[in-house]
Amino acid sequence: MGAFIDARNVPSGTVIQADLAIAGGGPVGISMALALANSPLKVVLLESGGMTFDAKTQALYEGSKIGAPYLTLEATRLRFLGGSSNHWGGWCRPMDQIDFEERTWMPYSGWPFGKKEVDRYFVKAHSLCEGGTLLYDKAGQFTTALGNELALGDGGVTTRWFQFSKTRDSNLPTHFGDRYAEDLKRIGKLSVYLHANATRIGLDASGAKVEEIDVATLSGRKFKVKPKAAVLAMGAIEVARLMLASNDVATAGAGNAHDLVGRFFADHPTPRDAAFLVLFDGKLAPFYQGNQTVRGAIVRAGLFPSEAFRRSHAVMASSITIENKVDLDDFGKATVAETANALGVDASNHAAFSLGAGMEVTPDPDRRITLDSETDALGMPRAKLHMRIADSDFSQFRQTLKELGRQLLEARIGMLKLNLRSRQEWLDVIDWGNHHMGTTRMHADPRKGVVDANLKVHGLANLYVAGSSVYPTYGAANPTVNLLSLALRLADHLKGTLR
Amino acid sequence: MKLSRRDTIIAAGGAAVVVAAGVGGRFLLRKRHGPTPYDDLLALLTDRDAAAQIGEAVLAEVEDFDPKTMADDLRTRIGKRPLPAVLAEDADRGRVVEAGGWVLPETLGLLFALAAKAET
Repeated sequence: MGAFIDARNVPSGTVIQADLAIAGGGPVGISMALALANSPLKVVLLESGGMTFDAKTQALYEGSKIGAPYLTLEATRLRFLGGSSNHWGGWCRPMDQIDFEERTWMPYSGWPFGKKEVDRYFVKAHSLCEGGTLLYDKAGQFTTALGNELALGDGGVTTRWFQFSKTRDSNLPTHFGDRYAEDLKRIGKLSVYLHANATRIGLDASGAKVEEIDVATLSGRKFKVKPKAAVLAMGAIEVARLMLASNDVATAGAGNAHDLVGRFFADHPTPRDAAFLVLFDGKLAPFYQGNQTVRGAIVRAGLFPSEAFRRSHAVMASSITIENKVDLDDFGKATVAETANALGVDASNHAAFSLGAGMEVTPDPDRRITLDSETDALGMPRAKLHMRIADSDFSQFRQTLKELGRQLLEARIGMLKLNLRSRQEWLDVIDWGNHHMGTTRMHADPRKGVVDANLKVHGLANLYVAGSSVYPTYGAANPTVNLLSLALRLADHLKGTLR
Repeated sequence: MKLSRRDTIIAAGGAAVVVAAGVGGRFLLRKRHGPTPYDDLLALLTDRDAAAQIGEAVLAEVEDFDPKTMADDLRTRIGKRPLPAVLAEDADRGRVVEAGGWVLPETLGLLFALAAKAET
């Protein structure tokens, strides 16, 4: 039997030998441990928190931020077993082929492999998220009884589908800690240390290999894990913080020979009410506004720019959701009435809806995590976020919304009002998806990426990073199910290399 | 009380005036538009006042809007085709303009702008 061990009971000075140490007990760490269950590897999983929320542990996330509006760092993650799956919304969608491609119009784009490479693991990742029957863009075939997809004119925006992690008690998707704790305990060669914070990646004297990981508890215990290999799976901010703070041998930080660790931080902006969508007949199928259960899957329709449109118009990914009914002002009502009359359609029963969104952002090396002068309760430097967002990010998404408006007119079924234009208008309503990405980006060239195509840190023989921090570009798909595909791929790789 | 024939006629006449004012009031009170060189185009719009308001927002987006030149262009573009067909073609070909954020077929937006110009 495997074991859940309270690190606060481990004597200081203890040295734990392992084939593999995984730092971070969120969806990635848990999924990797599960994927390695049948391997001969002795695995140690280090989780900062326990089984439930603890304010002092959560406070280890606190950091500072400057620049564009962003959330307080400690509010964007949860620090106990299951990690941020303890508060996720369960939204799932595969990335598109174009998300992996190098695009001349998108700086720093291009993954070192294509979509097929992660597709091999997608079904398993979807299964770990308990997403039910694999439908996604086939869902529309099974929802006709509920209503029709919007009959948009030909063009760049189409209806596509989200699926959701299994919902429990009406609103709780899969919490990986609760859901898989018993499965983890059944893994014979796995030890899960709770309340165990990785505080230093200890490199050997050459600086080319991880020798040990320092672990500390808030109760004051300190011990070491000496693994053959280590995987950092603590989220894009914490991974960068730990690598940068591990600067006793490599003075710029572990794996940071080219000053890339912490750069290219990204999230999905989610501006509220970016536009209003009007349907002249007022009829909207329920699967656009809320989740529906169809053939064993929980689905919801959204509106997405097609890959062809993204290529031809050089726009980044985005997702558009139809949210709440809204009342138009007198100008809006007059515009709808006059336009419908001119188009020769009846709009006497029209209805207007606000649109929600998730936007991709341009990779930006200066949107980054650095170390703050303040330290946390364990003596580690806190993270400092330098947040930026480009005007072109907003204008590209606006272009996609405008295309949707054009398609509504072409089909004579409705119209669209763009609510945001100036930078300040966008910033006033901006929110974020809490999808931290990019700080240890993947690239075959060590001068352009922190990890290689196998997620191994360049220049370090046995250190890997798993999670969306390795994304070179971000797409607009919710990251969890996709980063799990990458984590499962890494588990396969480690099975081969650590034998 | 017994009404004389004269009182009855006066009362009936008064009632007729009240009814006429009620029925025709909106027409009588509606803003009168003076003739313009492009009334043929403005006749395609159902509500000139609303169109003019929307047109002001279009004008904020369009540079160098000369009503006469634009009217000639629009007559050529529309020809004898029904307006809905012209607007559908606009959308199909990506010809759209904005009015206070509303995405409109270009021809319709320009007609609205003409209506606005007609008010000035």
